[in-house]
Amino acid sequence: MTSIISARGLTKRYGRTIAVDHIDLEIPPGRIVGLIGPNGAGKTSALKAILGLATFDGELTVMGKNPSRDRAALMEDVCFIADVAVLPRWIKVKQLLDVTEKVHSGFSRDTCMAYLAQTKVTLEHKVKQLSKGMVAQLHLALVMAIDARLLVLDEPTLGLDILYRKQFYSSLLNDYFDEQRTILITTHQVEEVEHILTDLIFIQDGRIALNTTMEDVEQRYTELMVKPERAEQARSLKPLYERELFGRHIFLYDSVERQQLTELGEIHTPSVADLFVATMKGGQS
Amino acid sequence: MNRLFALIRREYWENKGAFRTTPLVIGGIYIAFLLMSIFTTAHFDNEMYTFREAIRLLAEQPTEFRSTHGLEVLLGSSLFFTIVLAFVVFFYLLGALYDDRKDRSILFWKSLPASDTLTIASKLLTAMFLAPLMFWIVIVLTQIIMAIIASLMVISVGENPWTLFLSVINPFEAWSMLLVSYLASSIWFLPMYGWLLLVSSFAPRIPLLFAVLPPVVFAILQVWIRFLETFTFNASLFGLIGKWVANSPAILTVQVHDGEGTLALGGPLTDDFDHAVSLMNILDRLFSVQMLGGLIVAAVFLAGALWFRHRATES
Repeated sequence: MTSIISARGLTKRYGRTIAVDHIDLEIPPGRIVGLIGPNGAGKTSALKAILGLATFDGELTVMGKNPSRDRAALMEDVCFIADVAVLPRWIKVKQLLDVTEKVHSGFSRDTCMAYLAQTKVTLEHKVKQLSKGMVAQLHLALVMAIDARLLVLDEPTLGLDILYRKQFYSSLLNDYFDEQRTILITTHQVEEVEHILTDLIFIQDGRIALNTTMEDVEQRYTELMVKPERAEQARSLKPLYERELFGRHIFLYDSVERQQLTELGEIHTPSVADLFVATMKGGQS
Repeated sequence: MNRLFALIRREYWENKGAFRTTPLVIGGIYIAFLLMSIFTTAHFDNEMYTFREAIRLLAEQPTEFRSTHGLEVLLGSSLFFTIVLAFVVFFYLLGALYDDRKDRSILFWKSLPASDTLTIASKLLTAMFLAPLMFWIVIVLTQIIMAIIASLMVISVGENPWTLFLSVINPFEAWSMLLVSYLASSIWFLPMYGWLLLVSSFAPRIPLLFAVLPPVVFAILQVWIRFLETFTFNASLFGLIGKWVANSPAILTVQVHDGEGTLALGGPLTDDFDHAVSLMNILDRLFSVQMLGGLIVAAVFLAGALWFRHRATES
């Protein structure tokens, strides 16, 4: 299968600042990719290039198309939520559905209505009458009702309560996702998405700091918790990162034999959040 | 095509107040004034004597007189609508590519498979055709209602409205002339529409300022430099824009001939075109060298608007 997104030397400059610095990327179909990075790392710039919302240097094709040149054609197969609360405030929900249905051939009104039935949003509401969370629910219902091959979500659940966030991710996984589809997602709430991700991309200062699959994460990375007296010994195995918690030392290792570590203390598979912190700190030193 | 219509309908929804409510309010004002004047007359004029006399005098006039003046009344009463329409279109275009950048809903609109060209086309067509059409419909409705009220008045004083004016005046002539003049004006003013869309596509804030200030500064510099060179005040951008309005195919003013006023296209201050209201004179403007130049200017402005629209989500 050919890649959904393919980038070679993708670069985005704003004047003298380089937001995205020669990124190479291949995202095959049927993946759920988490794009994770600190604020200002270039996530949004990279997403904008992919969605045809910004010009770029280097090579970038999304489903064989140049996003900057063919945005309209690309949007037949891509849908995105680029930011929270960008639905026009003056529009009625009914009108929003009407215009989306007329402009987007892949939009299913029935599916959208089914998602909306789980919320308090009604057709007669105007967007400006809805709470921030309800606007997010409406926007999510709208994009999930579009039969697209690539779904890009930039902080999709900002402003949503925890009940709806859980519900959203479970319907994303159960009702929406299949082998034909690819989901690219950025969020600060890493803990919530790590169970649904298949791939992980860390981005820092406009470059890719880590690009791996979740299976790989489990195999490569190990977290070790030891008592203070064993810390020196653990340190000699060259951990990526070290932190202290309740008097215990916690180390994170990349490609170190698990056998060897078990002898020193307790081992776990690190969480994405811990791996992220370790990678970012490691990258800085 | 379906997409284009969907986008135009979206423009209508967003601007219902400007495109529908505004002309309805003006129509309401016309009708209210008519009713008020009737009540005033009835209040002060015992037995409606003056009104009766006026109607009787009118009935004595030749048919020709009643027909031409009736037509003038129908066309002339559109004037207030036309001026408000110009304001509505002006502010609509200024906001057309600005408002969604300001409230960031552009990020939603750009997630739909509609190209920037189609989006700009939908906004331009809305200004050119939807807005004038809405106003035109309300004008026709207002005039029908006013004709009914006037007929009832005439009946009430014992005259026959059918022979007096209903059968004499051909309203369709006035209405079609008005519609043609509106549509022709939409084409005639394309350079201005293009400029407003261009400003709307890039203005970081207060598009009104960006729309008005550059031409004003440019014109002042032009006048000043000309004055330094020749010690005379020569044609400037102001003059050009003024002339453009004066030459327009919109029914805007009254010109006086032999002590008698008739409606005129644009303002009868220029002699580039014949200002008498007629289909030929309207077409004459559309197929002129000036129009060709205007279309080229409009194309440049619109291309600029498209360029900015494409980059509107950069930062």
